[in-house]
Amino acid sequence: MKASEVFVLVSIIVFIFSLAYITSLGGLGQLPPVNVRVLAQRYLELTWNPLKPFMSSSGYESVTAIVWDFRGLDTFFETAVFYGAIIAAIAIYRGVKITGKGKTIGMSPIARTITRLSIVLIPTVAASIALHGHLTPGGGFQAGSVATVVAVLIIMVFGRKAIIRKGLTKSRILLLRSLGLLGIGFTAVALLLAAIALGVNAYIFQNQPKPFAPLGFPKIYDGMILGGSLLLFNFFEFIAVTAGFTLVLLLLSLDEKDVRKVVVEK
Amino acid sequence: MILNALLIYIGEALVAVGVFCDLAASIGMIRFPNFYTRLHAATVGTIGGAVVPLVGVALMALGADWLGNYRFFLAGASIVAGILILLLAPVGSHVLAQAAHKAGLAPREPIAFDHLEEDRRRGEEK
Repeated sequence: MKASEVFVLVSIIVFIFSLAYITSLGGLGQLPPVNVRVLAQRYLELTWNPLKPFMSSSGYESVTAIVWDFRGLDTFFETAVFYGAIIAAIAIYRGVKITGKGKTIGMSPIARTITRLSIVLIPTVAASIALHGHLTPGGGFQAGSVATVVAVLIIMVFGRKAIIRKGLTKSRILLLRSLGLLGIGFTAVALLLAAIALGVNAYIFQNQPKPFAPLGFPKIYDGMILGGSLLLFNFFEFIAVTAGFTLVLLLLSLDEKDVRKVVVEK
Repeated sequence: MILNALLIYIGEALVAVGVFCDLAASIGMIRFPNFYTRLHAATVGTIGGAVVPLVGVALMALGADWLGNYRFFLAGASIVAGILILLLAPVGSHVLAQAAHKAGLAPREPIAFDHLEEDRRRGEEK
């Protein structure tokens, strides 16, 4: 055995034992009780509960119900922060010309052919994750992350300029991203606007009818569970996240020389 | 009844083939001499060790009529996943091998033929 191998072995053993020691010393503080806690019980009970229509959300999926219904305002701010980060990235790259002109060096024909197949399949999976997110695990952000793989594949296999040549310029992706965020914002206040027009009471981020607030998004249509506002939120978040990630990837894939010319010398 | 049992037995046989391929691939990953031959072992592990067992799982699910209608979901998902791996895994190995060959990062010895190098030289001559 070489000295380096012994060192690796000893350091792994020391790491595991020190981790166990720290944990057993109570480094995590008082551990929570093993049984389901009261708050979790409430969430599980009220995610889909036809017996308590004024309290429950509108889908089977607890996580989506928590993220977009029970704490919808929080998620809205998360999305807004993500949007701000992308705006900041664009601000850093301002003045950098992103064009589709010039030669692109892609990968081999084998890679190109299979990529052409898979960039049709990936959005299908992503859409199923987004549009089924109120019934099965998934949701807008996860679906957007999956759909971003398309952008990664196009950039890697066909070259960055291929995205722009297909018509997805920086401003168009930003428009898509803004439409997604606007959709989320509009869904959040849609019932409030309708309530003002009808002269009744409503809340921000309201999904289902509440006492003294009779309006609500459709929960079931023709035997199919629509999920009320959860479906809309998931769909718009899907668009916003896909466009946001694609934009950041497009900016990151730019040639360093072109960027330095603008960012450093100006 | 006999058909169901047959489907399950064929499926189990395919899973056993997958176990053998995975074992062979993992031995090859350690014992093979250079990057390209190890890549071959990895591909044996993905096609023989993942696609074949997935087809086997699909057949087993179709034969398992106590699962009710869920067996069709199971079989369909397995077949689709199998086809996707069948399409994507070889491309991944191909791209890796080509990149390593082009960058010259992995030693090519021991080697019998190097068609890619010949092709590249021919391309440069033109």
